[in-house]
Amino acid sequence: MKRQALTTTLIAYAFLAPALVLLGLFTFYPVLYGSYLGFTDYTVADLASGEGPRWVGLKNLQFVLGDSLFQTGILNSLKYLLVVPLLQIASLAVAVLVNQKLPLMAFFRVGYYIPVVTSISLAAVMWEWIFQKEGFLNWSLQLLNLINSEGRFNWLLNEHTALWAIMLVTFWRGFGYYMVLYLAGLQSIPAELEEAATLDGASAWQRFWLIIVPLMRPTLLLCSLLSTIAAIRVLEEIIVFTGGSGGPLNSTYTALLYVYNKSWGNMLNANFGVAGAAGLLIALVGFALSYLNFRLTREERSER
Amino acid sequence: MFKRWIAAAALALGLSALAQTQIEFWTYYLSPNFDNYIKSTIADFEKENPNIKVRWVDKQDTMERDLTAAVALGKAPDVVNLWQDSTFAAAQNKILTPITQLVNRNVLNQLYYPNALDMFVTEGQVYGLPWYGWLDQGVMMYNPDLLQKAGVDVRSIRNTDDLLAVSARIKQATGAYGWLPPVKDPNGASFLGRFFLEGLPVYDRDGKAAFNSPAHVALLQKYVDAMKNDIIPQELLRKEAFQLSNELYSQGKAAIVVGAPTTLNRVKEANPDLYAKTRIASAPLGKAGIQTGGAMSLVVPRASKNQSAAIRFALFVTNRTNQVKFANVVPIVSTAAGSENDPGLKAKSNDPLEIGKGMNSASGRLINPGFKPPKNTDDIYKNFNDNIEAAFLGRKTAKQALDDAVAFWNANAK
Repeated sequence: MKRQALTTTLIAYAFLAPALVLLGLFTFYPVLYGSYLGFTDYTVADLASGEGPRWVGLKNLQFVLGDSLFQTGILNSLKYLLVVPLLQIASLAVAVLVNQKLPLMAFFRVGYYIPVVTSISLAAVMWEWIFQKEGFLNWSLQLLNLINSEGRFNWLLNEHTALWAIMLVTFWRGFGYYMVLYLAGLQSIPAELEEAATLDGASAWQRFWLIIVPLMRPTLLLCSLLSTIAAIRVLEEIIVFTGGSGGPLNSTYTALLYVYNKSWGNMLNANFGVAGAAGLLIALVGFALSYLNFRLTREERSER
Repeated sequence: MFKRWIAAAALALGLSALAQTQIEFWTYYLSPNFDNYIKSTIADFEKENPNIKVRWVDKQDTMERDLTAAVALGKAPDVVNLWQDSTFAAAQNKILTPITQLVNRNVLNQLYYPNALDMFVTEGQVYGLPWYGWLDQGVMMYNPDLLQKAGVDVRSIRNTDDLLAVSARIKQATGAYGWLPPVKDPNGASFLGRFFLEGLPVYDRDGKAAFNSPAHVALLQKYVDAMKNDIIPQELLRKEAFQLSNELYSQGKAAIVVGAPTTLNRVKEANPDLYAKTRIASAPLGKAGIQTGGAMSLVVPRASKNQSAAIRFALFVTNRTNQVKFANVVPIVSTAAGSENDPGLKAKSNDPLEIGKGMNSASGRLINPGFKPPKNTDDIYKNFNDNIEAAFLGRKTAKQALDDAVAFWNANAK
């Protein structure tokens, strides 16, 4: 009997092995090595002359924490988190809407999902048209008499709006993805519950807040976690819209852009130690936020 | 007997394979447009040097990353095509072999224009062989309809001040922009170039940044005002001038493009009618009366295992014969000494574009690289651009912006 259990375990690990090897090689090893580099002095010059990293303890962390550019980056990344609740509420609400058995629903589901599979460079061209001075956004605001033609401005060139404009693009890109996750979650809610509530005279609004949202809480928390991590790691959008400068006036300079510019972005002047230390700090913020999410899930479980 | 023949043949083959050196050559964004030229140059080289085989790889966006990775993995390429800033960064980080260790400096002085060679000198050593070059100002291309509408005579545009003045008139009369000057770009510090072109120094005699004199401030203020009055588009803070010029010119929303004649290839694709109408004049220069420009380099990484074959090939690719051949494929500026008299660059017809291209390619001795980038380039240029941006967006005065940039520069250029 024991032998059989051992065999089962071995077989299970044999099946897991390919994935474990890949994970180890391309995820765990880089993460561990990158973290180690955060405590060392290691630049391109060392790399080129074949010298290894030199341990310097907390020097890089001190440097990064004192660098005003990194502080700006962290602040902007935290601001970026505001996209998370908006994105989750909106995609859940739309998931509920497209979950109904009405004609053309497949069309809407596909429509909302298209931004997810659209390449960011293509999306950037479209959004640049929308945000420019003679663009669609200003035109719409003018039609609504919210601004006059003197009030038009390029949304990506104003330090008060640039980050929000890029957040809108993240929202647009993530919306369909979370909607699909929520749709899957909604399928698991027993239809009887809603029917019973309807018979008891609950309005659509009440059914949404009192039945769907509580039952969807596990999915909500999963999606929030995923989008929190995505928001704290935002980079693609910033590079595409600002050419990696994080402008105007560093108003879109995020924490991960700092890491990128200290390493891959300026490879021939890369400082892997500083980049590693900054990466570690961002990971810490990510961990803290994930912990918060898990805490919320646990409370939820003990309530039941 | 037969077996013995086979064995001998195999041995001979094996020996020749041993004697043959393979080198790897990396170019930057040259494929697929120039496949024929590069391949035929390599074939010519291999014919002259039967014991060297060249493997060609064209790198694009990931050039710097791939180079660093290849060096780290011990698989360094042997000849690499870089540009001035990257050559400096790579030299400072000890990635490159000083060319002067492989070839005598006197020989180099005879092969290339001194101004071109000087672009790749740092700490007294040459780190790259000058390859194809360009002139930033090149020629002035304009849309005659827009100029006529604004009542502008093209002969009245003699310098950059005139260009700005005319741009204001064009904007007022037609709604289109005139000229789009480079003010900021992600990889360099364009506005330093504006100072240089107007004869204002970037450094003082001790090599310290000194671009905050009243004259510098006044110049920056002039462009800040132009942007404030929408004579030059604010979008220049986000997009590089050559890219934006191309887009707006092709749409009829900009009247003038100053730059390399090759710009017109894109206009030709985007708007053939406008291309047919476009006229060309010589480029108006700044008060210094110089044409700035640059050149690509061919470098040899220190980790290359075939240094002598590598330098042999790099010298071959950058020699006058091959640069002139290249100039006949695409109007590059040859950096090989003596190109101004090379019959291969004389126009074969009376076609003005043909004459212009020939003149352009033969003007390598006029390329003025401007100023040397500082050490710690990335941080310093980022700070410079941030300050320039703050001035253009009205968040700092021109004086404050330049004072701040100079202070940061001198504190961080170690």
